[in-house]
Amino acid sequence: MQQNVARGATPRFVVWLILLSVLAVVFFSVTPLAILDWLGKTLPVFGTVFLGIFIEATPFLLLGTLTSGLVEVYLDKNKIGSLLGRSSVSAAVMGAFLGLIFPVCECGVVPLTRRLFQKGMPLSAGVAFLLAAPVINPIVIISTVAAFGWGRMVLLRLALSLVIAITVGMVFSTEKDASNVLRPMLLAHEHKHDDDLMPKSKLRRALLISADEFFEMGRYLVVGALLAAALQAFIPQSALLAVGNGPALSVIVMLALAILLSICSTVDAFVALGFANSFSFGSVLSFLVFGPMVDIKSVLMYLQVFKRRPVAYLVLLPFLFSLFFGVVINYWYP
Amino acid sequence: MAQRVYRSLQALLMLVLCIFLIEKFASGRLSWYINPRFQILTALGILILGVMAQVIFSELKRSKGRTEDEDDHHHHHDHEETPSWGNLWFVVLPLVVGILIPARPLDASSVGTRGLTTTAPLVSSDSATKLFETISEERTVLDWLRIFGSQSDLSQFIGEPASTIGFVFYDEKLTRSQFYLGRYVVSCCAADGVAIAMVVNWPETASLTEDTWVLVKGPVALMTLDGSPVPMIEATSVEIVNEPEQPYLYP
Repeated sequence: MQQNVARGATPRFVVWLILLSVLAVVFFSVTPLAILDWLGKTLPVFGTVFLGIFIEATPFLLLGTLTSGLVEVYLDKNKIGSLLGRSSVSAAVMGAFLGLIFPVCECGVVPLTRRLFQKGMPLSAGVAFLLAAPVINPIVIISTVAAFGWGRMVLLRLALSLVIAITVGMVFSTEKDASNVLRPMLLAHEHKHDDDLMPKSKLRRALLISADEFFEMGRYLVVGALLAAALQAFIPQSALLAVGNGPALSVIVMLALAILLSICSTVDAFVALGFANSFSFGSVLSFLVFGPMVDIKSVLMYLQVFKRRPVAYLVLLPFLFSLFFGVVINYWYP
Repeated sequence: MAQRVYRSLQALLMLVLCIFLIEKFASGRLSWYINPRFQILTALGILILGVMAQVIFSELKRSKGRTEDEDDHHHHHDHEETPSWGNLWFVVLPLVVGILIPARPLDASSVGTRGLTTTAPLVSSDSATKLFETISEERTVLDWLRIFGSQSDLSQFIGEPASTIGFVFYDEKLTRSQFYLGRYVVSCCAADGVAIAMVVNWPETASLTEDTWVLVKGPVALMTLDGSPVPMIEATSVEIVNEPEQPYLYP
């Protein structure tokens, strides 16, 4: 049944992107020899960047799916709903802080959120968790402090991530019917994991479920890494960086870079540090707030949890908020 | 039956991925892809993959025979759980890329698309002050750029002997007797790799080919490039060396 779902939306999108990159290749090189020469230079870069992202992200994805497997086996359904309270505000706030208990990055958070939805988590809490957890968790806080020291950058990163996550969570809570937002497979009463191979032992069952999920989510990680690596290998980064350094333009450039680079939130602070002396404070901050919420691989994974329109909201709302805060901070508190 | 085949392939792929990562680890080439600081996580990933594969294999063995009898009774059930073969295919991709595309760290040929900077990525202040205690001949390209980027008074550093390695890179901004001595700085993985460089002045620059790894020795001088002060080595010797095992610098 999953095959049908997966064949629907994303692969067509992927085919188009592949076609476009093929056209780009043809466009940039007139003679076949030039193509070969160019490929000889760029393919190894592509391979290295792609494997870099994949190797870096795989352990995090594994940890996320492992947590998800354990949640599936050990956590009672409906417990979450009662734990998070009834009002959508408190649910969203609790959801945003849940990362402190489940320290996951943006690769691990998607399978875990999906599992929590299956376990009856309210929409507002799930969305707030999805957006906030990659930042509001001990590992990321420590790495941000290590890079920037205790100060404005760390505090604003945490505060803005919370504000955006909770707000978007509230926006989603206005939708009363979860089936308009979530993929149908999440709502079905699952007897998905009762095939004959499922062991009796809870721990072994958790491991098997995690393995399934690793493959299911892994493909989106792979496609995301593939796209990010292709963009990096074939489009000069200098073109992007040269676009602008103004208080507004620099924010847009850094937001674009956040999508393009697709770096794990546990380490993006160190990468942002590299931009800190050439880019405005607000733009680096918005990179750190927006990057963990949206990038190529996480959007592809979001499509496994949400329908397409909600995914558009999940990308656009954080983008607009980050842009707004980044520009405001650049103009008034540089 | 299909379920069993799917599970077997799944476990097999996890095992192959495991071996793939172990090979990168053992050959030291993991540092071409990620900052060694995160190698411990890769090790953890290898462990999890191994355990998962083992559990699947042992469950396959345990349930053997039992499922064959039950297959007939569970027709519609089986039908419902068609394994998602597509998942397997996608996880094969990294293995294919890893095997088919020649493995090479980021080098001078990728500077074209990735860009190159002569000002260092900033670091937290305490590690910058530590730099002044280092012996000048042990400083890397990154160390030099950090010093020149963070200090307003550079007089104490000018004339200090430098001895550092990097790859050769040419640029039109420079004169004929100058080249860039480049290194890649990787904070997390190759995706964030940034080329940094200091300028080397060397009369025989024309004899060097781009992307060669060299050890440059000579006193450090100050030059201005694009309006900012950058370090330049007045080379007294340039020696061709092998590419180091860890080609990147890790801040």
